[in-house]
Amino acid sequence: MDIGFSVEETRFREECRDWLHANVPAEKRPLDAADAIGFDKAWQRRLFDAGWAGINWPADYGGRGLSIVQQVIWLEEYAKAHAPWIGANFVGINHGGPTLILNASEEQKAYHLPRILKGEAIWCQGFSEPGAGSDLAGIKTRGRIEGDELVVNGSKIWTSFAHVADWQELVLRTEEGSQRHAGLSWAICDMHAPGITVRPIKKMSGQTEFAEVFYDDVRIPLSNVVGGLGNGWKVAMSTLSFERGTGFIAEQVKAGQEIAELVTTARANGMIKDDRIADQLSQMRAEVAALRAMTYRNISEVVRTGQPGPEASVIRLFTSELGQRLERMAVLLMGEDMIDFAYGDDNAVQDYLRGFAATIAGGTAQIQRDIIGERLLGLPKSR
Amino acid sequence: MDLTLDDEQEALRTATADWCRAHMPLEEARSRPTGLWGDLEAMGWTGMTAPGMDLDHATEAVVFSELGRVLAPIGLISTTVARRWFADGFDGKVALALPAEEPSDMRVLDPDGSHAALIWTASGLRLFDMPNDRTHAPTIDLSTDQSRQQWTTSVSTEDAAAPLHLQLLAAAYAVGCADAARDMAADYARLRQQFERPIGWFQALKHICSDMAVRAAVARSQLYYAACSLDARDTDAAFHIAAAKRLGDQAALDNGRANIQVHGGIGMTDEASPHLCLKRAHLLQFIAPADAALLLEGAA
Ligand SMILES: Cc1cc2nc3c(=O)[nH]c(=O)nc-3n(C[C@H](O)[C@H](O)[C@H](O)COP(=O)(O)OP(=O)(O)OC[C@H]3O[C@@H](n4cnc5c(N)ncnc54)[C@H](O)[C@@H]3O)c2cc1C
Repeated sequence: MDIGFSVEETRFREECRDWLHANVPAEKRPLDAADAIGFDKAWQRRLFDAGWAGINWPADYGGRGLSIVQQVIWLEEYAKAHAPWIGANFVGINHGGPTLILNASEEQKAYHLPRILKGEAIWCQGFSEPGAGSDLAGIKTRGRIEGDELVVNGSKIWTSFAHVADWQELVLRTEEGSQRHAGLSWAICDMHAPGITVRPIKKMSGQTEFAEVFYDDVRIPLSNVVGGLGNGWKVAMSTLSFERGTGFIAEQVKAGQEIAELVTTARANGMIKDDRIADQLSQMRAEVAALRAMTYRNISEVVRTGQPGPEASVIRLFTSELGQRLERMAVLLMGEDMIDFAYGDDNAVQDYLRGFAATIAGGTAQIQRDIIGERLLGLPKSR
Repeated sequence: MDLTLDDEQEALRTATADWCRAHMPLEEARSRPTGLWGDLEAMGWTGMTAPGMDLDHATEAVVFSELGRVLAPIGLISTTVARRWFADGFDGKVALALPAEEPSDMRVLDPDGSHAALIWTASGLRLFDMPNDRTHAPTIDLSTDQSRQQWTTSVSTEDAAAPLHLQLLAAAYAVGCADAARDMAADYARLRQQFERPIGWFQALKHICSDMAVRAAVARSQLYYAACSLDARDTDAAFHIAAAKRLGDQAALDNGRANIQVHGGIGMTDEASPHLCLKRAHLLQFIAPADAALLLEGAA
């Protein structure tokens, strides 16, 4: 075991740092997706032109094909440089694109992947429905096969960036009468197609970033189905293995920055004299350190065996809950100024209110605990 | 950067676990056979990082977390640390004194068969001669005796790494203790049936166990990082080891309590094992405790 980096890795780190230092935009990324879309596209293009887009994508598809350790270094430096969140490009770069890489035909890949990398095509993820959240297999949106097209009816909800997206990864039921995981397909849906209505939804933080999507006889060419009709569940799950534990590096570096700022703030405003606050801060310092150690451990497991360790599921839950504890502390340290919060403010209260998503989106904390209990500890399946 | 066990470490870990299962099981922690100490010395664990040995603290931390898992004698920690930092004259078992202020008596843990006691302060270690005519008293941890000892002549080391070494091994014990409670709870949750199904089927129980797994994984990760930072003589080693001790202690205590709840009535009996983990966890809180102010400072 060791915690050092090689000479080449250190040189690579300097390369990342230099580029980021010269290129990170000075202005803040706007909060609402509709206002941020121009910013997001321009930043993605800049990353692409400099060779930093799709750092974990294979070089064959225009990515950087970096080793997992280099990815870690890039993501660490990215967060340290306070580079902006990739925002509306998030789904395409981290989810839609990887799914295409693993499952799509050459034509599908050749058309879509470069557009995602350049920030020209914005993607969204249409999985959740009003009746299918934690229980994703309850999907009801259906696609009837008519000639060489799917005719789609139904609705999706909580679709991040739907109102600014060009394409959607749409999981729908293509086999009439099919149940649960069977009979689903994963299709590329053109968000500009006739019959699609998008209703943006405002969050309790005032931010408008996700939306409800309605499909009224929307026509999707069958050639847009990825991985074959009826294989939607398999395709949707395949992406989960793409990231292999690098998904939380940014959060982890951010947590390190946040805890340092919180200690400084608590010292400046005297709240550190409250023993409970001092104790929570020292606890979180230890936890932030452990989060990095745990991520490094997982990454080195991937390097050694090609697979994340069984404890990878723990990282996700721990990251989300630690993040929320940090956000709560930041609001506490604001004292009564927190009640001045108004929609549009981009401050600790905004982060706190938005941060509730961490234990809901992409699998709730309860579902994560089920997974840990069942896969790591071998307890009987509850569902 | 690599925080996984290499083949040699994995082999050593497995060998340690196997030996412990056969000769020093957790269930018998309160009545260790006489002569056990000789066996432990023969296994070589107390000399892993002694001068002339080639093993690093990372390997040692892996092994000590296995020993901690079966609630091995506290004296293994102090003896191992004494072996590393004090050159001669202390071949035998060394007991562990809890931090104290001179001239009030020191509280010495695991004094049986020891001729010396090691006392820890954040700035250094001191090693005392121990008289033979001591009376032993029990501690809350049924596997650990104690005695009182006055400040006698001592030798000391001011090397900053010495107290960190002791804190690291205590953290490893805590991580092992947290693991033991987690595994005991998960085993029971798979076996015990109520309402015609294993109690681990119920999420209320399952999620208690999942949280135990999270705490143990978090603490173990930090333990490995901390051990590497000591091996590298990293400037942040003191912080990382304090963090490992804090998280290890907490995981041991919280898992110790949770394990009893998972067991229901049998969990709070003298006869069953869960209380052994909880009580060991309480004892460990007083061994080389993490300094909150240092944690607050953070790493550079
Ligand atoms: C900010 C944000 C962005 C999102 N973006 C997207 C997106 O882009 N695309 C997309 O498809 N989806 C998206 N989602 C949806 C997200 O994946 C779902 O919200 C999530 O899966 C939970 O589903 P639900 O909201 O229907 O809650 P429910 O499943 O109804 O859960 C309600 C409560 O019940 C609990 N619960 C449910 N089942 C169980 C069980 N078996 N055991 C114990 N407790 C249970 C849950 O933990 C939760 O506390 C987003 C959500 C958020 C908050």
